[in-house]
Amino acid sequence: MIIRLLRRITQFSTIALLIAIPLLNLRGIDVLAGSLYSLAVGPVWITDPLSGLQVLITTLTADTALLLSASLPVAFALAFGRVFCGWMCPQNLLSEIADHLQSKVGFERPIKLHTTALPRYAVLAIILVSTLIAGFPVANLISAPGIISVQISEYVMAGAVGVELALIGVIIFFDIFVIRRAWCNFICPVGGLLGIFRTAKTLKVVYQRETDQCIKCGACVKACQLELNPMGEKIYPLCHNCGDCIAACERATGKNNPLSFRF
Amino acid sequence: MSKKALRPPGAQEAGHFLASCIRCGKCAQVCPYRSIKVASILDGLSMMGTPYIKAREIPCYVCMKCPPVCPSGALDRKLLQKQDIRMGTAVINKNTCLPWQGTLCRSCYENCPIFDEAIVMDNELRPVVDKKKCIGCGICENVCPVEQAAIMVRAKGDT
Repeated sequence: MIIRLLRRITQFSTIALLIAIPLLNLRGIDVLAGSLYSLAVGPVWITDPLSGLQVLITTLTADTALLLSASLPVAFALAFGRVFCGWMCPQNLLSEIADHLQSKVGFERPIKLHTTALPRYAVLAIILVSTLIAGFPVANLISAPGIISVQISEYVMAGAVGVELALIGVIIFFDIFVIRRAWCNFICPVGGLLGIFRTAKTLKVVYQRETDQCIKCGACVKACQLELNPMGEKIYPLCHNCGDCIAACERATGKNNPLSFRF
Repeated sequence: MSKKALRPPGAQEAGHFLASCIRCGKCAQVCPYRSIKVASILDGLSMMGTPYIKAREIPCYVCMKCPPVCPSGALDRKLLQKQDIRMGTAVINKNTCLPWQGTLCRSCYENCPIFDEAIVMDNELRPVVDKKKCIGCGICENVCPVEQAAIMVRAKGDT
């Protein structure tokens, strides 16, 4: 359960940070600045790798500072997987809440898709080609975490939000009424790119067969909003290490739960 | 707003700027005068999220805080001196400018941050813009007392 608590704290801290940044900036404090496209924490800059990649494509020049700052999330993903999605992304938090409310009402969605990362890679490829053709970072038109963070800042600083926020409404509507967690699973180009950065040593959910304490309750599968089966073989790159399955397993089997995070 | 919007100091020329700006909004956040606004999707797909300045509302006071925070180099981070920026060029409409019409006025001349260089007074005390020295901050456009500013900044790349 500690995993779930920690994750909620991280998720809400991210939102709090996004609100705090413009509030501090308004008072002339610039130690923290930026959005989820690019964040400055004092002298440390962290940039969304997809934004960095797009600028690389459009300008065909490698800005050292940009590439360095974009390599931080890449290194983080190589170590911990897509924890940005599972633990920080405000869109994921909104979609999780929406999914939770939907399951309370409990109606059936009309379309059920087999979860696979292929559509997401296709979207990513189309976006990168469009970026090359259009000559500006096209993904940033639909990057949900980026848009949410910029609009939070706009609301705090200018007192109004842009129509861009409608996209977030559409995503949530679609998630609730058409396909479960469609954006995160099938479309999001940010998550799609982050999912590429994996090695054999990347943090993952592991089922320990040797402990053999699985009681076949299926709680883990039920807990996964992305409709993955942690007992199955291939859940990556779709799994974003939220750890809900581990928490559910712990609840069902007690302390020696067969599911856990391992490098 | 057109594609020839006035961009923050240090902005690359229009095409390169749109290509390299990642729309993070950091320059607008650190602007102490709230001069830098963030464009909406209604301004055009390629404009969405990019920073711009409406000089008549709030001009750029050339504090030079924004270029160093740009993560992608869309604003030239190496630019630190206000004399070196080129956001655009001020253009005087001699048909409405008060001194050019015979009334005394020194608003633009006195408020220009590149004082007595970018805007000089000719021997008949009429303001004249030195295109080589003007940095395009728009302070002149902001302070012009004529209802439709008689001096306006034409953004870099706008012909």
